[in-house]
Amino acid sequence: MSTTVISLTGKVIIQFGGTGLLGRALVKSLASSGATLVVASRNRAALQSLADTESAAGRKVFIEETDIGSEASLTSLRDRVLAKHGRVDGIVFNAVSRPMRTMNDDLKIWRESMETNATGFFATCRVFGDAMAKQGGGSIVNIASIYGMVGSNLSLYEGTTMTTAPDYFFHKGGMINLTRYLASHYGAAKVRVNVVSPGGIYNPETPQAAEFINRYNKVTMLGRMCDAAEVGGAVIFLLSDASTYVTGANLPVDGGHTAK
Amino acid sequence: MSRWYSLEGKKVWVTGGAGYLGSAITVELDRVGAKVLCFDLPGKAEALVREHKLVNTVPLSADINDAANLPAVLERLLAEHGVPDGVVHLVTASSSGKRLEVLSPDEFQRTFDLALTPSFILCRTLAERMKANGKGSIILFSSMYGVVAPDKSIYHDPMAPNPIDYGASKAATLQLSRYLAMHYGPSGVRFNCITPGPFPNPTVQKNHPGFIADLNKKTVLQRVGQNQEIVGPTLFLLTDSASFVTGHSLVVDGGWTIW
Repeated sequence: MSTTVISLTGKVIIQFGGTGLLGRALVKSLASSGATLVVASRNRAALQSLADTESAAGRKVFIEETDIGSEASLTSLRDRVLAKHGRVDGIVFNAVSRPMRTMNDDLKIWRESMETNATGFFATCRVFGDAMAKQGGGSIVNIASIYGMVGSNLSLYEGTTMTTAPDYFFHKGGMINLTRYLASHYGAAKVRVNVVSPGGIYNPETPQAAEFINRYNKVTMLGRMCDAAEVGGAVIFLLSDASTYVTGANLPVDGGHTAK
Repeated sequence: MSRWYSLEGKKVWVTGGAGYLGSAITVELDRVGAKVLCFDLPGKAEALVREHKLVNTVPLSADINDAANLPAVLERLLAEHGVPDGVVHLVTASSSGKRLEVLSPDEFQRTFDLALTPSFILCRTLAERMKANGKGSIILFSSMYGVVAPDKSIYHDPMAPNPIDYGASKAATLQLSRYLAMHYGPSGVRFNCITPGPFPNPTVQKNHPGFIADLNKKTVLQRVGQNQEIVGPTLFLLTDSASFVTGHSLVVDGGWTIW
């Protein structure tokens, strides 16, 4: 097969958050794309299990236990990756904490959410944005959500036990505009910063309520929920040299949900 | 390499395929093994095929600005070349080149007649046939000037600011793409727009260094785009890499519109 410009061959990529449904799919996509992939997460056991699963499938991933709530942990990760792999060409920020369940939760839970989703997110982008700027360029891809773009359509959830929590709408919206700030800040240093906003992802392991899925299918143009494997293409595109003139962009992978 | 973004053997039609942006797209599609139908003004597509020794590309000089005759032209091409898997429709660029103060109603109307009506007919005719495959990807081209207004301060006399008919037709192209995405979504045919920022052609780059310096400063990357940089976004949207992306305006503008 002919090669195309959309490849990560030779690039060192760090993915933050890789053990959830989307995270594992992204690991699989990135590990298949020619990149040297480092997965950073707080949960050592889950990381090891991920590495074992990938290894069994013939894909190599490096794992690094990291606490994004600690700047020292992030700079230590940066130093270890640079020592081991020589460079960092891109990061994927897919880490998320979802401690809040409802509108009425205690404010201390809101603050806990921001510790990871706002402070940890910013700290990660700054540590690795600076490292890539110093190196002469790179690409940051943040994983937001259509819920950083539009409000919650409550009718989708009627009659189910599913809820949408307010903190998520705040930090995903913030992620999308902080991406533009960072794109502007790092533009001259050739570090591109973009964000991917997935729509609702079908969970084959613990499927969402049937009535929710039926309603959700109707709010996308393609008439279905997202398969976790469909997000990787957008992330690889934005990490790769196929997108050298794309920065500050928000790329929804939502089947047209937010286009109508 | 992963197989899921291969275009090998896929039939892709590129209108305006020998222009500044189109030629970069056509050449790469040819290189990765797509079967390309390259439309352009008489002689241009043939010259591109010769110059780049393209082996998978059929050059054509069909007139696709005549909306009334377009369905018949397309049906003939469909019969001859088969139903495309992907369409890259660049021939939406039309501009009066006139200043707002002197733009006549006919000139304003003409831009819309050339940019929009044939695009609608082309998209509908091809999507109706692509539906049967259960999938397909059609890409329209808008512009940053379909999203934001031009900055008058960078157009020095005697250069006229990018004209109002151009921007209005590019804004309309974005909506055409979203509407078509909605209409054809259930059949699996995806519609997206690429929304380029400043991609001045080599002649402009060479002859207007002051203008280029101003354009550079309007982007966060501090530079204008080169035509090779439109290729990746196009290939991404054509392939299954973007299987859940539809109705989107993919902005390729070096950050022009984000600040």
